[in-house]
Amino acid sequence: MMRTLAWLVGALLLAGIVHIVTVLGVPSFAVADPWREVGAIAGDGVFTRLPRVAPGARTLPGLDPAMTHTACRFSLDKGPVRIRAEVADGYWSLSLHDRRGMWVWGVDNRAAEQKPIDILVASHVQVAQLRESLPDEYEDVVIVDWPGSEGFALYKILVPAKSREAEVEAALASARCSPAGS
Amino acid sequence: MRFLVELFATLLIALALGLSSAWYMVAAPRIGYGVGAWKAVPAVSAETADPYTRARVARTGEIVLGAGEGLVFIAEADDEGRGLEGACDYRLSGGTPTARLWTLSVVDDAGEPPASLAGRTALTSREILRDADGRFEITVATTARPGNWLPSPPKGPLKLFFRLYDTPLALSPDPNMRMPRITRGACR
Repeated sequence: MMRTLAWLVGALLLAGIVHIVTVLGVPSFAVADPWREVGAIAGDGVFTRLPRVAPGARTLPGLDPAMTHTACRFSLDKGPVRIRAEVADGYWSLSLHDRRGMWVWGVDNRAAEQKPIDILVASHVQVAQLRESLPDEYEDVVIVDWPGSEGFALYKILVPAKSREAEVEAALASARCSPAGS
Repeated sequence: MRFLVELFATLLIALALGLSSAWYMVAAPRIGYGVGAWKAVPAVSAETADPYTRARVARTGEIVLGAGEGLVFIAEADDEGRGLEGACDYRLSGGTPTARLWTLSVVDDAGEPPASLAGRTALTSREILRDADGRFEITVATTARPGNWLPSPPKGPLKLFFRLYDTPLALSPDPNMRMPRITRGACR
């Protein structure tokens, strides 16, 4: 009896370890993480329009069908990345996600007061270098201190009516994400 | 011999329990709190996300709303606890929490939006019709309805997504908040 109990306790302890290792290990071994999903649809260093959420459309899971989206994967290996875009009237939101798809930073139309988006994403080292001598052109640019060296930007705009689709398309098409200085 | 059998059985049990519990915790979004039939999916950010949420996002590749961006509510049942079915009509009525914008959409079992002739798969707070007191009523049904109509899949279980953008609730839940009631209508 005692012997069986001892084995059972052992099994439970081991099960706990298996549980923890599995959960922590999933992000490293996942085959469909957001980074890869974005890469399959959108390019690196350039914003790509995502298909509207519709039956059978290949787009990212979890997107709001009431919004139109454009996405860009970026890497900070060759220096900070500057993200600029015109904005549309009404609701919009720009969010930056890390390599694992986690939300890191974002701005929406209320926070930005309808000014065009202009931000500089830089790694810890690059931020330190920028602090030392900030070029004049970055004076009004929001600098985002980025964990790691990769991520993706998602820019979404609410489409309220057919008559305003052209304006929204123009704003989405104006989005740029390219290495700073180029 | 007996020792080996016991060791093997123990390892098997440990593996089965550990993996299945991990799967269970990662498969579905962790639910924060409920309001009526609606369940809030807590907003996540890189700094505060728990390991289960990280694992789920890495596995499904889904895009989650950020902590400052808004809050998502999901309903899989009506107010009486019966699962939402494509074969039934539903009426959503009542108030909504404070938010600058909300959108309502519906997906089928596989997470796909319904194919609708209207070409519309969502309703937003900007476009719905309200009565003189600001109240509204939305009908979720397969075929066109007068007033606010959200097309739904013709059959199978369905899920309603209520996304609130730029809401103070994203940071702290309000115990007095109101979400639309979900009332089942006619079923085919």
